[in-house]
Amino acid sequence: MLLTTSVGSLPKPDYLVKARSQARKGGVDPAELKRLEEQSTRDWVARQEELGLDILVDGEQYRGDMVAYFAEQLDGFKPSRLVRSYGNRYYRKPIIVSKIRRRQPITVDWWRFAQALTTRPVKGMLTGPYTIMDWSFNEYYPSRRATALAVAEIIHGEARDLERAGAQYIQIDEPAISTRLDEIELAIEALGVVTKGLRAKTITHICYGNFQALSPKLNALPVDQIDLEFANRKFELLEAFKHLRLRKEVGLGVVDVHSHRIESREEVVANLKKALKVFKPEQIYVDPDCGLKTRTPEEALGKLRAVVEATRAVREELLN
Amino acid sequence: MITTVVGSFPKVAEAGFGTTIISAISRWQRKELPDAGLERVFQDITKAVMAEYEKAGLDLLADAQIRWEDLVTPLAKQLDGFEINGLERWCDNNVYYRRPILRKAPARRGPILAEEYRAAKACTSKPMKAVLPGPYTFVQMCEDRYYKNPARFMRKIAELLRDEAAALVEAGAPLVQFDEPALGFGKPPLKGVLEALAIATKGLKVPTALYLYFGHLNGLLSPLQKAPVDLIGVDVVSDPKAMGAVTKTRWTKQLALGCVDARNTKLESVTELHALFDVVTKRVPSDRLSVNPSCGLEFLPYEQAVQKVNRLVEAVQTYKRG
Repeated sequence: MLLTTSVGSLPKPDYLVKARSQARKGGVDPAELKRLEEQSTRDWVARQEELGLDILVDGEQYRGDMVAYFAEQLDGFKPSRLVRSYGNRYYRKPIIVSKIRRRQPITVDWWRFAQALTTRPVKGMLTGPYTIMDWSFNEYYPSRRATALAVAEIIHGEARDLERAGAQYIQIDEPAISTRLDEIELAIEALGVVTKGLRAKTITHICYGNFQALSPKLNALPVDQIDLEFANRKFELLEAFKHLRLRKEVGLGVVDVHSHRIESREEVVANLKKALKVFKPEQIYVDPDCGLKTRTPEEALGKLRAVVEATRAVREELLN
Repeated sequence: MITTVVGSFPKVAEAGFGTTIISAISRWQRKELPDAGLERVFQDITKAVMAEYEKAGLDLLADAQIRWEDLVTPLAKQLDGFEINGLERWCDNNVYYRRPILRKAPARRGPILAEEYRAAKACTSKPMKAVLPGPYTFVQMCEDRYYKNPARFMRKIAELLRDEAAALVEAGAPLVQFDEPALGFGKPPLKGVLEALAIATKGLKVPTALYLYFGHLNGLLSPLQKAPVDLIGVDVVSDPKAMGAVTKTRWTKQLALGCVDARNTKLESVTELHALFDVVTKRVPSDRLSVNPSCGLEFLPYEQAVQKVNRLVEAVQTYKRG
């Protein structure tokens, strides 16, 4: 009970950030870049083991944007120029220009690489079809539904390949799911296509949400576990679950990924205990709110340590 | 039948005026670039966009909002009473803005946008309208911890917007446009919205426009024919039922048809735009009709934004020639 994990991305070390930026300008050989990505993946798997996390991630050292990464590996997308997401932040929003096809497995080799480094389970990490559809331009499919369902088939194939390779946990992130409430049924339908027939434990991570409007649909999401941000809303979200019985496991985000401050063990213990008044211990997985890639490596380690140490303390109390 | 834009335009153009704004803003934030240096970058981009609009042959311009992060914070930051808070989603887009919180009675110290309006206007000989958030959208995008009463908050904001609009008219704006994307979501209090618009437009000596985009029209087009504005802009792309609503409405206002999708890269054909014009001109005579993209163009990359403007103008010019 109270297994610890993280949401997916981990910070890239300086040498890798530099190499990736040089590689975009053609200044670094792809084989050399791959070697550096493997090195930092190895380091992160080792760090996660040392910290004592129960379910590991590969840290996504080889990924940039969570949608563009998949779009770049699939036929049917063309890379786009910059568009602004907020303030002074820009991203490349992919454009769907023809039928989407997967030439070969996208994430399986990296999953195998990470899993070979540890005896603990490594999660397979995918971006969900609704999010890929919503965060891309579409010039090919006749509707948003047709786009989401076409992407869903592709992501389902990838999930099957991860499962065949041995992944016990497959996470399908859907941060866009709460964007348009009139499309929530479509998001659920598309996610259902992805998880259909999978035996692995399935998880979806949702963030930035209009949570109140989404909450009545949580039990309808076709996954075993829903991972949510609790820390950055000061655990106010727990209130909602006093009235709504979640019939799934919950990924409990207990440290805020948007702040530099490292939460103390005591603080996380106190919040975990609050959560235990609402959820059953065997229902809870403990993790940070979201991917940690925007933190420094030191901050990420500090936050993960708080997750693990607090969870251990609470587990011991529960067992004694 | 005139061509115009709704407001925003991409601030970066890898294949055009460049991406200098990104590093300029970071340097300015770190205090390594003085205000005047950042202003020069803003002005250079504005000039480049106005040149693009002139080249395309647009009739009525807007200033491209290069200095703006979104529709509401440029004003909220300069008004007394507001504090700018954490990121929130901008309507139904994968775009975020910092939500203003009202802590004290809002007050306006003086003109906020008139100077940037004049600077943009100086780049072109074409007429340039002024664009402001509408009172309802302004209030919806903020968190009110002062009045704790949306109706009072909206009336007060409407007064401040009116003063700002008057300053823009003084600066030379031939038309003041109020954007109300928030009307596309939820159930807007129609009576209060109309009252606030009456306050915001009171005594303005130029024509006024109300622009609706995103979400759904929610049956608002007919009641809005009573709104104290001269023109209503309708996004007929986002809501599949919008064209039906446009043709069912008895138009007493001028119509601005938002018919080129400013949120998707797929380029409309001249033929399909002509078909839309055929339908609409049966309800609204072409001398009471403007056409523009469905919303601000900043949701697109630069190349596609330019293509959309060019296509819009091409469609209207060929339509006029018959």
